[in-house]
Amino acid sequence: MSRLLIGSLAVLGIAFGLVLQPGPTRAHHGWSWTTGGNIDLVGIIKAARLGNPHGILEVDVEGEVWTVEVGQPWRNERAGLKDGDLKEGVEIRAVGEPAADPSEKRLKAERLYLGEREFILYPGRD
Amino acid sequence: MEAALAALEGTALAEMLRVSRWGYAAVNGAHILGIALLIGAIVPLNLRFLGLWPDVPRDSLVRVLVPVAATGLAIAVTAGFILFSVRAREYSGIGVLQAKLAFVTVGLLSALALHRAHGFLLESASDRVLVRHAAVSLICWIGAATCGRLIAFVGD
Repeated sequence: MSRLLIGSLAVLGIAFGLVLQPGPTRAHHGWSWTTGGNIDLVGIIKAARLGNPHGILEVDVEGEVWTVEVGQPWRNERAGLKDGDLKEGVEIRAVGEPAADPSEKRLKAERLYLGEREFILYPGRD
Repeated sequence: MEAALAALEGTALAEMLRVSRWGYAAVNGAHILGIALLIGAIVPLNLRFLGLWPDVPRDSLVRVLVPVAATGLAIAVTAGFILFSVRAREYSGIGVLQAKLAFVTVGLLSALALHRAHGFLLESASDRVLVRHAAVSLICWIGAATCGRLIAFVGD
């Protein structure tokens, strides 16, 4: 009894140690982590990582790197984006909700603009 | 390690799932179905081992719930591995995912050891052995499910 219990408690300890260690930059579900109000960002895409389950852009906004969360492939496609639209070096304007913690510099995009072209990722949101 | 994870991301299946809406949804759904079957079977089974419902015959419950739990685990692990392959390098660095894999590993090894010693339907296991195992099993599978769910919610 005791050996197994001590073993499983050790695993529990290790597990929670792992939980508390910082992880890499990742995407979020839903909108609960954002401010509820929109902001507007204009910058140059430094890196694009698209595909399920989340699409992520790193955007240089006047020297600050912002993480812009875009849609999954189906959402980007529905908005009219084509393969290659979101790539390094492209200037982009993103409108959406920033993380409630401003030091995160993270935006969940509702709409994107490439030049004059508008791409609405979340049609139901303002 | 990095090379193996990159190779995993480069498999045809992972590449397909990164862009496929319904393919990804299907594997995601299979993962949930597997978890539902596993947890739905293992929790009542362990509670019975711990002393709940003493008038329900142990052997009958084992005969139903062990195969269901095993099937659920097999589905969850297979679908989970495929989901992992979609973003292997990113996921491997996530603390809650590592914790979840620790729980799954201990839960799986302790189940294999138990069934190896006492048979698939645990014919030769004493009630005392099962109480001990049930405590470990509950911690592992509920811990695994909890940490798994947290992957979507724990940021950096």
